[in-house]
Amino acid sequence: MIEFVLDARSKVNTYVQLIQQVKQALRVGLLVPGDQLPKVRDVAQSLAINPNTVLKAYRELEIEGLVEGRPGVGTFVRRTLGGPPLADQAELREDLVAWLRRARTAGLTPEDVIALVETTLRATLAAEAARTQPAASAG
Amino acid sequence: MDIALETEQLGKRYGRRWALQDCSFRLPAGRIVGLVGPNGAGKSTLLHLAVGLLQPDAGEVRIFGRSPYDNPATLPDIGFVAQDTPLYRDFTAAELVQLGGRMNVRWDAALARERLAQLGIPPKLPVGRLSGGQRAQVALALALAKRPRLLLLDEPVASLDPLARREFLQSLMGSVTDSGTTVLLSSHLLADLERTCDHLVVLHSSRVRLAGAVDDLVDAHRQLVGPRHVGETIAGVGTVVRARHTERQSTLLARIDGVVDPEWTVHDVTLEDVILAYLADGETTVARTDWEVPA
Amino acid sequence: MIWLTWRQHRRQALFTLVGLVALAALMIPTGLMMRASYADKGLAECLRVLNAAQPDPERARLCNRALNQFADRFDSMSLIGVLFLVLPLIVGLFWGAPLVAREVEQGTHRFAWTQGVGRRQWALVKFGFVAVVAVIVAVVYGLGMSWWATPLTGAAQQSRFDVIFFDMQGIAPIGYTLFAIALGVCAGVHWPRMMPAMAVTLGGFVGLRILLTVVARPHYLPPETRTIPIQGTIGEPGGALGDWILEKGIRNAGGRMVLSDAQAACSGAAGPAGGKCPPIVEFGEGAYNWQLYQPADRFWLFQGIESGIFVALAAVLLYLALRGIRRVA
Repeated sequence: MIEFVLDARSKVNTYVQLIQQVKQALRVGLLVPGDQLPKVRDVAQSLAINPNTVLKAYRELEIEGLVEGRPGVGTFVRRTLGGPPLADQAELREDLVAWLRRARTAGLTPEDVIALVETTLRATLAAEAARTQPAASAG
Repeated sequence: MDIALETEQLGKRYGRRWALQDCSFRLPAGRIVGLVGPNGAGKSTLLHLAVGLLQPDAGEVRIFGRSPYDNPATLPDIGFVAQDTPLYRDFTAAELVQLGGRMNVRWDAALARERLAQLGIPPKLPVGRLSGGQRAQVALALALAKRPRLLLLDEPVASLDPLARREFLQSLMGSVTDSGTTVLLSSHLLADLERTCDHLVVLHSSRVRLAGAVDDLVDAHRQLVGPRHVGETIAGVGTVVRARHTERQSTLLARIDGVVDPEWTVHDVTLEDVILAYLADGETTVARTDWEVPA
Repeated sequence: MIWLTWRQHRRQALFTLVGLVALAALMIPTGLMMRASYADKGLAECLRVLNAAQPDPERARLCNRALNQFADRFDSMSLIGVLFLVLPLIVGLFWGAPLVAREVEQGTHRFAWTQGVGRRQWALVKFGFVAVVAVIVAVVYGLGMSWWATPLTGAAQQSRFDVIFFDMQGIAPIGYTLFAIALGVCAGVHWPRMMPAMAVTLGGFVGLRILLTVVARPHYLPPETRTIPIQGTIGEPGGALGDWILEKGIRNAGGRMVLSDAQAACSGAAGPAGGKCPPIVEFGEGAYNWQLYQPADRFWLFQGIESGIFVALAAVLLYLALRGIRRVA
């Protein structure tokens, strides 16, 4: 079982933090299908947070199909999250290392690199979203 | 939806001064509601009206549809922990549990004992000799042992050290999960409220400034940074809650109602930002009139 | 609820009991001593002798000596009696005033009144509890004092109506105690702080007691008048009967008051003992002693009236307290 931690200074919503932590645990293999998530009461008590917040996070995960609630028992992991295991990402990683070297020789500081990655990622995702759902992009 | 607490034009006056005025809101059952406001804003008055300790001078307050004043029938539904958690200081915790059993129709003594044992509260020591945190825990355990449908807590953690405060909120959140009790909790510790509350009532100068579900409130507000703005309407902005200006730039915290004019940079806000904006609102104009200084 | 009241006030109750026991330890031995001495000296017989229409001078002399001896020995005892005058006040100050005021001062009313019991029921039980305790205490010491003070008032040829003696015995203390408690409770409800509540209790109790004692008590029933011819050598005829003499004086034959606050007797030399005196020149022929008084046998009636007034006041105050408690927050 995993234990949640909260970053009190983060501007990220509490329930989003919980979702992120579950996903992270799924990604790194800390949680595998069949595992139980901490009980709502225990999370609410140990973090001193509103139980509805925990419920909301678990509901969101359920909607995404990652977990399922079994009434009276608890919430269990249904499937693991996306991508191939880290070991299979060696090739991508090599590409990234090579790219980073080029960025350094071009004079980019680590902060510049992070900013570039973030903006590019956001722009790409936005462009993809616009392509798949052209009607919703106006909102 | 079930309404746990409802006020309508509620007012309370001490002499000629209104401690609470024109107060109308509804709290849905099952929520944990934060009651925020500076000292003297009327938080305790509102809570005392809600538990029937005070008689309204105007309007109405209803607990699950019934007026609580002079109406002992509403008492079993209410759990109340008053400010500074007053208890009979020469009673032991065990005696207080026994007392609760004799003064209440519905009383879960086992629950109270269980909680107090878990917290390591000595049963045979007068509660006056316990620490502030332990005493608050005893008061909470007693309030919960009534198995109330609505639990009202008046600044329960204000006088506690950070550790005791954390422990208090932990046991509160844990037991609320079990019981599904609606909670109305007054506090001016915004960080605590942000974690624990999903509904909010902001009081300031004896009036309700803001009331609603936390998510809705946070969603509805944005911080806007843009060119200096002198009162003209901005596309997509409903009401401006607070505005700060430099010669060229204005920073607004506003309720938005559409797509904001692209001239403005829009930032998300936290609950704390929203609360602070509403609490700061109006303060200076009042002070200026009081000091007879031109605004 | 009764359990709460008992648990909350058991220490106070214990103190009260200890106080009563201590008083009993003082009063019972002294009372027995006085009664023994009273019987030894045959004072009961003496009083009959002295109050006879024509006292035997020799026996009267012996009796007066015995009475003086008794008085010398026990007069200081009446100081203890004064203690009992303030006892109702003490009960009012320390039982009545804190009952609600302390609760509000410490904020515990917010705990108590949000349990399942409404505050009216809370108040009824509490008020009832202290009232019952007060009545028990007052009955014990009021009747105890009657027993204790009998020889003292008798020997001093004092009326039981005399201010201090009337007030500390019989059933009047029950009224006082209840009133003091009710006043304390009511003050505590309307000024819910300990000090103001106690101050109001103190002022109200002392003020009303003095007022009623001085102004009202002599007129509970129309007083009677009596005229006594100037004869014999006893200075104040009728005094030992235990009547409460409100006014006295010497009136001349025409009924006009010639000297108030005085009674005349024959001067020893002027006339034969027991015989009619020659006319006293100052007052003229036919002058007589005049008294306005409440007869001794009205003692219990007056006790009842006095007690009744204070019990009624106590009831009014408790009613006001019950009404007022709805507005305490």
